[in-house]
Amino acid sequence: MERLHFAYCMEIGYSIPVSRCYFTIKCIPKNDERQKLLGMNISLFPQTGYSFGEDSYKNRQIYGCVEKPHDKFVFQITGDVEILQTDFAETAVAERIGMYRFPHGKCQPGPGLLEYYKTLDVFRHKSDYETCIALMHKLHEDFQYVSSATEVYTAAEEAWEIGKGVCQDYAHIYITLLRLMGIPARYVCGLIIGEGASHAWVEALCKEKWIGFDPTNDCIVLDSYIKLGDGRDASECAINRGIMWGGGAQSQKISVSVERKSGA
Amino acid sequence: MKKLELLQHTNKVNELLARYGVKFGIYKNNTFKEQLFPFDSIPRIIEHEEYVYLERGLKQRVKALNLFLKDIYGKKQIIKDGVIPEEFIFVSSGYMAECEGVMPIKGIYSHISGIDLVKGKNGEWYILEDNLRVPSGASYPMIARELCRRSSPETFHNTRLEDNRNYVELLRHTMDYVNAGGHTVILTPGRYNAAYFEHSYLAEKTGAHLVNGAELMVEDDKLFYITANGKKERVGAVYRRISDEYLDPMNFNPESLIGIPHIYDVFRKGNVALLNAPGNGVADDKGIYYFVLKMIKYYLDEEPILQNAPTYLPFYENDMKYVLEHFDSLVLKDVAEAGGYGVVFGASMTKEQKRDFIKLLKKEPRRFIAQEVIDFQDLDIIEQGEIVQRKADLRAFVLMAEEPLVWKSGLTRFSRNPDSFIVNSSQGGGFKDTWVLSQ
Repeated sequence: MERLHFAYCMEIGYSIPVSRCYFTIKCIPKNDERQKLLGMNISLFPQTGYSFGEDSYKNRQIYGCVEKPHDKFVFQITGDVEILQTDFAETAVAERIGMYRFPHGKCQPGPGLLEYYKTLDVFRHKSDYETCIALMHKLHEDFQYVSSATEVYTAAEEAWEIGKGVCQDYAHIYITLLRLMGIPARYVCGLIIGEGASHAWVEALCKEKWIGFDPTNDCIVLDSYIKLGDGRDASECAINRGIMWGGGAQSQKISVSVERKSGA
Repeated sequence: MKKLELLQHTNKVNELLARYGVKFGIYKNNTFKEQLFPFDSIPRIIEHEEYVYLERGLKQRVKALNLFLKDIYGKKQIIKDGVIPEEFIFVSSGYMAECEGVMPIKGIYSHISGIDLVKGKNGEWYILEDNLRVPSGASYPMIARELCRRSSPETFHNTRLEDNRNYVELLRHTMDYVNAGGHTVILTPGRYNAAYFEHSYLAEKTGAHLVNGAELMVEDDKLFYITANGKKERVGAVYRRISDEYLDPMNFNPESLIGIPHIYDVFRKGNVALLNAPGNGVADDKGIYYFVLKMIKYYLDEEPILQNAPTYLPFYENDMKYVLEHFDSLVLKDVAEAGGYGVVFGASMTKEQKRDFIKLLKKEPRRFIAQEVIDFQDLDIIEQGEIVQRKADLRAFVLMAEEPLVWKSGLTRFSRNPDSFIVNSSQGGGFKDTWVLSQ
């Protein structure tokens, strides 16, 4: 059992003050069979009231509205998470599988990925778990990690055409391929030790359990990962979603730190 | 004789309809055009016994459709039991994962359902389509009846005709039944919406506020209406025409300018009713239509009272074979399209069109349904002083509160083009009042 302390801070600066904004932030670690949130502390600037809720993927969210003019919006959360086990994230609920079986949103194959998929038959194993592993290795080899080659809105097919990208692109492509192989797969947004930003990986259904695979780092998800949310693609568990009036040019600073807690 | 008297008033009533602004707007080639909705004064008459039969069938159908929606966004028993293949749910553009596990107040998804039917030459009624995303049209026969009554009061003396003015009470009750506390409002995207007349008419008749998105706001997990003097008043029910995607930029399409941020979060917490509930598109998809009869058996354990037009799903191998063999006698519909678009008749295609279409059909079999062309009964209409016959359908309105209730009237639409089967108002058709006879 591992205890992790995490801090996530997002600061958005505006060149012209925002007169009003609505926000939804999905940045609270999930409680599931794999991890448990022990405690947390949230702060917002400008100080404002907010509601707690759960979206349809049971991702926890806070949302609200800032009604006074502001040129900066800051969200910060710190807390502790206990990693209870690492073999799998969650036992699958039967009625929550079908939606992860089909192409959707950013995870739709185009001609490039379909062509690539044709070459992958040799990676199909008897067990879905082995297929996932083999496919992860293969994708890790064939796609290059380069930051700023893609954008937040880049879909799997586009990223594949570019040939390089970041964790989100790895995850989108991997999900698209797994679904083509007939393995339900979902996108996970979270935090890991040793990175300055949020991370993305994939959970695939193997024998009725959701198992975490990290195609960016070519490894399975172990006790250094904190899961925030999941969905059919990145947009459904995006950490921050907002609309604002005014604002002009925006700058965004995100800092993340995750560390093992000693004495746990 | 009485009937003839009313007929003399067609022009008069049309003039009045224009004066009252009974129009609908359409977008054609990116420009907005307002069009009068031509009224024909010969009513469609439905005998009492026939209505009783229709009523039973419509109630049954709407009950099953509501149970289906509850099931799909919940346990999905109908998929587990193999009655509906999961492709037809999760690939449907009407399925909204955002609605998973969200229970509308009192479990009602489709409060107002518009079921389109036609009557075949054999005297049988067939369901053509279910509309569960706030179907419009009830206001037209309401106001037409009102104006006919005004221009020809004698016609309505001693006629054993069901009064259709009670739609107002039915709708009001349907909205009040699920109201979570506070005002009831009718949310309109504005006067450039096809159904703007209907919104303002229903708002006035039911006493609900007619509002736009900017007048509503969410605070502390509740929805508020901002009055003219800036006061916030709680809203408990929203009748809305805005499509799901545009309803809430924080939960659905982020580009929406007409939506209300976080309204879906309020709905999720049970603090406001949305009529109809988001996500209903998965049940009135043309692909799902095929399965409605199976739903009735599955959820209600009853035999369907009203039949569908005979429909084939090329998704199933046997059906594909049938469709290819009988291509010329079938009508093919793209499941993603609505309003009479995406409908093609096998018989009217050129050789090349047919070849291309079949290629597409084989590539994307789930995208299409094929139906037998129903030879439906023509109705008399007056065209330049002459009585001619035109194709017509009927949109029946079913309102759901404690129990489904069928409005004893309906919108009869007809095609003005003698060769056309397509009666949609967006394609230039006209309408008639629908008379349901009492006893």
